[in-house]
Amino acid sequence: MPPAGIWIDGLIQSCAYMTMAFGMVLVFSILGILNWTHGQFYMLGAFVVYYAITAVGIPFPLGLLAAGVLVAGLSILVKKIIIDHITGDLYVGVATMGLIFFFEGAASMIFGMQDKGLARVLPGVVDLGSFSVSYQKIAVVSFTLVIMIILFIMLNFTRIGLAIRATAQQPDAASLYGVSVERLSLTVMGIGCGLAAMAGGIIAPLYTINPFIGGIPMIMSLLAIVIGGLGSLTGAIVGGLILGFLNSVVAYHLSYLSEVVLFMLVVIILLVRPQGLFGASVK
Amino acid sequence: MKKWIIIWAALFITVLTFGLASAQNEPIIIKVGMPTVLSGPAAPWGQVGMDPYHAWIDLFNKEGFKVGGKTYNFKLITVDDKNTPEGGAAAAKQLIYSDGCKFLAGHWTWNFPSVATVANQAKVILLTRTGNEAVPGGVYDPKKFPYVVFANDSMGQYIADHLAIVEAYPKYKKIGILDCVIGKGPAADITVAALNKAGIRFVQEWFPFGTQDLTPYITRFKEAGCDIVYIAGWVGETMAFAKQRWEMGFKDMKVGHSGPFVSVDMYLAVSGKDAAQGLIGQYWTSWEFKKTKVNPKYIKMCKEVQEIVSKKQGKPFNYTGWVGWLPNHLLILSQAMQKAGTVDDTDAIMKVIRGGTFDTTIGKWTMSGAKTYGSPIVFGCPAALSVIKGDKEVYLSEHPTKPLP
Repeated sequence: MPPAGIWIDGLIQSCAYMTMAFGMVLVFSILGILNWTHGQFYMLGAFVVYYAITAVGIPFPLGLLAAGVLVAGLSILVKKIIIDHITGDLYVGVATMGLIFFFEGAASMIFGMQDKGLARVLPGVVDLGSFSVSYQKIAVVSFTLVIMIILFIMLNFTRIGLAIRATAQQPDAASLYGVSVERLSLTVMGIGCGLAAMAGGIIAPLYTINPFIGGIPMIMSLLAIVIGGLGSLTGAIVGGLILGFLNSVVAYHLSYLSEVVLFMLVVIILLVRPQGLFGASVK
Repeated sequence: MKKWIIIWAALFITVLTFGLASAQNEPIIIKVGMPTVLSGPAAPWGQVGMDPYHAWIDLFNKEGFKVGGKTYNFKLITVDDKNTPEGGAAAAKQLIYSDGCKFLAGHWTWNFPSVATVANQAKVILLTRTGNEAVPGGVYDPKKFPYVVFANDSMGQYIADHLAIVEAYPKYKKIGILDCVIGKGPAADITVAALNKAGIRFVQEWFPFGTQDLTPYITRFKEAGCDIVYIAGWVGETMAFAKQRWEMGFKDMKVGHSGPFVSVDMYLAVSGKDAAQGLIGQYWTSWEFKKTKVNPKYIKMCKEVQEIVSKKQGKPFNYTGWVGWLPNHLLILSQAMQKAGTVDDTDAIMKVIRGGTFDTTIGKWTMSGAKTYGSPIVFGCPAALSVIKGDKEVYLSEHPTKPLP
């Protein structure tokens, strides 16, 4: 049985993957595209929080909010200027792949390539006897819980949530009922990418910040939604949880072989349930 | 009229004589190419050396070096090798065939095979480092790459670093050695064999590329009884490791990495000031070496470069990793040219490099004449270490590799 620290570590990773995967699925459900730039919005979120704190001097929670809002705005611009002008899912996918290099290159030029850090944000640990948990990790879990509750309320008890669910299931029918699919897709793009940015922002104090940090979280989020079921919001959460814990526990037992095991697991799930654990529909 | 013709002729001869004389005194430029990483995640390592390299060459060129009565200067041309095989080959081709570089030096990235292939085909001497891809069982073959000079014994240094750690902390329990899986290979086997031979207690772990969460590895090291963890050159991972082990409550676990500290501030910002204390890194501040004697002339030059770069960048420039690389390579090259009496005959230059002794920015060392790590020409190194103390790095220990006969 792994020690408590490994489980806590798994939970932290799960939180990041869940938040990112949720945003990715949201975009996929409405726009029908896999946004390969999701990881770069995660990276930009981390940078916004970094500069909000170190250059502007605003508190961490406000920095997180700023990351979400600014990156949401940027993603809406990306949709309006690029995605809307490209026809075909394949070509949109290729375009968003191209944007990976654009954003990484632009971030390298603007922010520089040297690692940055926010170790001074929420320093300190809670000592729990045989192990300790940092305030930063507690903040990640708390933030994810709050975000998940907000998203649950939004999707289930608001008009926009109803519109998102309706459009995800039957876009034509939703349109006939007065839902502006165009406006909704912009909103969803903003929310989805804003979530990625906030995931990057909340994780920023734990790890290093540089223009290339988006790649691995993007791959892990993709794995999470494949495990959970492409298009399933519940699946994204469950997939993120499974992946985070597995990554930590398997790495503890098998060291660097953890990645092999993770990918094997994805293959097995796809062989047994090609639609993922929660199918392809929005729950 | 005749008088004027004589005056004009005298003037013409005078101007011609002085002109020729001054042209003869004008140093001849030798272009040296440096394929290095200037973009992508490893770019900070390439970029941090640019200012000091150029400043050092400017200082070196004030005197230059003489071969056969003529004075020569170096001109450095750098091309981004993107830290990829394709980038390395493209950079080497551009430097050799477009820019007309006769030598490649200062190269240190992972694309050794492609850079070495291009350089050797063109009969261009490549001064680089030993490394994972260059040791026995790897791609290096002295017959295939006769123009490769391992002017930095990075393999030897990595092994010697562990010995320096043990000298600094003789009461250590066990050293945890951590590397990325892409470092697995013959070099790792050589390291293990060398450490076993030296009687060092250690356990080895590997992490997948891109890992930022190192909690599982910290836990494994702790359970294995490691009180020191030395990480093979992965800066971001080392900073994350230091921070995470601190937060897990393993504050006594010492952490370090091969490679110098690019900027102490970066470690303080990422790991946190408390967690970064005692972090170990490689040290190239030659004026603080205690076991390696360095020519005072080169120490003076290097100190001057630090001042020049500080002035240029408008802030104190404390990074000294550059001291051991390009200047070291260029001093080997220039001294080899002087000994060979030629700047063009690469075979003659290579002949004097093998087994030759060279006075450089990191000491006076003899190139190995025998095979070492598959190469007949490996240079020594001081293998000095430093630790972060407060917001500065200070000397920790040193275990110079022995001059190789």
